[in-house]
Amino acid sequence: VTTAWYAILAAMFVVFAATEGRNFGAGALHLLVARTRAERRMVVRAIGPLWSWHEVWLIAAGGVLFLAFPKVLATALSGYYLAVFLLLWCLVLRGIALEVGGHVDDPLWQTFWDAVLAASSLLLALLFGAAFGNVVRGVPLGADGKMFLPFFTDFRATGRVGILDWYTVSVAVFTLSVLGAHGATHLARATTGPVEERSTRIARQLWMVVLILLPIVSWETGIVRPGFFEAVLHRSVAWLGAAALVLGLAAVLIGLSSGKASLASAGSSAVIAGLLGGAATAMFPELLHSTVAAAHSITATSGASGSYGLGAALVWWPVAAGLSVTYAWLMARRYPRRVLGEGDDY
Amino acid sequence: VIAPSDPALWHRLQFAFTATYHYLFPQLTMGLAPLIVWWKWRALRTGNAAYDAAARFWIRIFGLTFAVGVVTGIPLEFQFGTNWAAFSRTAGGVIGQTLAMEGMFAFFLESALIGTLVFGESRLGRRAQFAVSLGVCVGSWLSAYFIIVTNAFMQHPVGFDVAADGSLNLSDFGAYLLNPWAWVELAHNQAAALVTGAFAVAAVGALYRLKAVHGGPARIFLSSGTGLGLAASVLVAFPTGDLQAKLVARHQEVTLAAMEGRFRSGPMAEITFIGQPNVAERRLDNPIRLPGALSFLAYGTFHGNVRGLAAFPEDTWPTNIELLYYAFHVMAGLGTLFIALMALAAVEQWRGRLPHNRALLWALLLAFPFPFIANTAGWLAAELGRQPWLIYGLYRTSEGISDVVSAGNALFTLIGFCGLYLVVGLLYLWLVGREVAHGPGHAAAGEMAVAE
Repeated sequence: VTTAWYAILAAMFVVFAATEGRNFGAGALHLLVARTRAERRMVVRAIGPLWSWHEVWLIAAGGVLFLAFPKVLATALSGYYLAVFLLLWCLVLRGIALEVGGHVDDPLWQTFWDAVLAASSLLLALLFGAAFGNVVRGVPLGADGKMFLPFFTDFRATGRVGILDWYTVSVAVFTLSVLGAHGATHLARATTGPVEERSTRIARQLWMVVLILLPIVSWETGIVRPGFFEAVLHRSVAWLGAAALVLGLAAVLIGLSSGKASLASAGSSAVIAGLLGGAATAMFPELLHSTVAAAHSITATSGASGSYGLGAALVWWPVAAGLSVTYAWLMARRYPRRVLGEGDDY
Repeated sequence: VIAPSDPALWHRLQFAFTATYHYLFPQLTMGLAPLIVWWKWRALRTGNAAYDAAARFWIRIFGLTFAVGVVTGIPLEFQFGTNWAAFSRTAGGVIGQTLAMEGMFAFFLESALIGTLVFGESRLGRRAQFAVSLGVCVGSWLSAYFIIVTNAFMQHPVGFDVAADGSLNLSDFGAYLLNPWAWVELAHNQAAALVTGAFAVAAVGALYRLKAVHGGPARIFLSSGTGLGLAASVLVAFPTGDLQAKLVARHQEVTLAAMEGRFRSGPMAEITFIGQPNVAERRLDNPIRLPGALSFLAYGTFHGNVRGLAAFPEDTWPTNIELLYYAFHVMAGLGTLFIALMALAAVEQWRGRLPHNRALLWALLLAFPFPFIANTAGWLAAELGRQPWLIYGLYRTSEGISDVVSAGNALFTLIGFCGLYLVVGLLYLWLVGREVAHGPGHAAAGEMAVAE
């Protein structure tokens, strides 16, 4: 049962990264791909009326973490206290920027909120990247099962680590490039005119950056988390992740060069699913890996709540997930796949 | 004794502040949602465009309120982990259940539909508009149910067992979800949210009527606002408030004594209208009381013995008796005034005289902030009344904090929230004020293209 919850949690983070991560990327590139006010409103509309549904995957994943692995939630969120609030405040600012930016038809008003959107999206991509780097690298969990991380210590990725070190900064930069590429690929599919042209060009450039950074970050991961790639080799689910990554990258490159924007967009989501899903499989069953001593790590078994509650939730969760996708599908089909210059806001 | 380097103080203040601030917004959306559904229903049945205009106007305010509710709600869930790690470790196996259900069942529904409700009127027929408004309403009320089940567990824990390491696990899902405390709390709270929504709608109706603008929508706002306002104000007191008080009398006896500032025990216990608790001297200063009423309300007989604080060990007394006493009295006092005001307004409305009764219109206009105060006071009473327990009778608040987080870190984020929420609040008031000033019939900048 705990394995099922580990998989559900990983799947929810994958959906969050593929949907809302796309919006972070699009938001971060906002001021680059759009030059005029009308173009910037187009980008916001391409982020779409369902952005809050995308964000709910994070909130619901937080709820599921609380339900299934309360010890992990408690240890991680209190240990990363200041970083968590930085992230939450960015989410607040970005939500406000998306909701009220189009509310007043005034150039200064819209310029201000466009800048807030771009800055908070950029920071969120970096913060979620650093967070992911921290999960892969591990955390300084002591024998009491508790920790408190400073923002940085000596920038080395072993022992008494901080939030930022050479490895987590690398992962943050890599994540920014992946989410930027993902967002640009989406904008290339969902917009028209000059925004579409610029997005396509930036998408091509950013995917090249991803192709360069991917082997470097993989090599770093092998150093920081010994056993990571051995696990990938020995677990067939991780092969699926690797296959999704390779096929996704191929689809992106073919799609972008041949003008098949939908293919590129689907490939881009497959890349993210492959990266995150593969990593989650490689790290199973550890949820919080201790850099101090392996015995202090919190696993899917040692961090789980009672089996009765986990079983009960396994009954309602698929129903709720099915309903959720149905609502979003019913709404999404009312909107055009490509936003035009005119039309209602979003 | 105030100890500024005690992290517990800042953890408690931060959660109290962020939760209280957040709840200013959902109480309005939950109160407005059924009215919007009602107007969409009337528009569907009668084809009267005035109902569409009424709904469109309030949907714009609903959208702004909903957005602020969402962004201020996200930090709450995560603060269980950041500030209350020990509590989360202990109780996550139980309350994590309903917090996850809220996300999965309520937030997905609301978030999928809200964009289309606010901006998609042109994309939908009347029937679909009605369905979308109903979906958003159901989502917002479902969210309340899951949160109140979570809170009810902290007030009156049921359906759990204690593991070897002291953590709590769910043992009876049905009992947990059907906690009798939760149903009463939900009914009381939702009725109070309807009061907030109804007063806001009536106030805008009164404003337009006093200024003699937007005649059609003003009529709808006044009739819907006073009708729902009277019904909801009565429901808050009876039966829901009465049942809630009886539950407190039965399961949190010491809390009832503190809410009434009652130190001595005995039958013919009185209700206090006004008076200042003096905890050091164990008495109430300058009291104005109604003898016997408390015994009757709590136990159904004037001879019911309502035990005073002196009958309980001091380490089980609520930790802030003075504030608890005032919170309860502000809530109950305002609730009584709401019934009186709305009864008067509804009678005048029924006789067709409300639009010409300027004094009463002024009263309705000025009354709109008070339901927010009453709702806040009610939650203060519930949460202060639960102290010193985090889970009543089981787990103390002082045990629940994140011991790795220093007072300095907790105060830093509290100051950050104060600044951020001040900006958010000013922005919200300005944007809503702008909508109210423009009135129905005006389409905000972004929706111009839709309205055409």
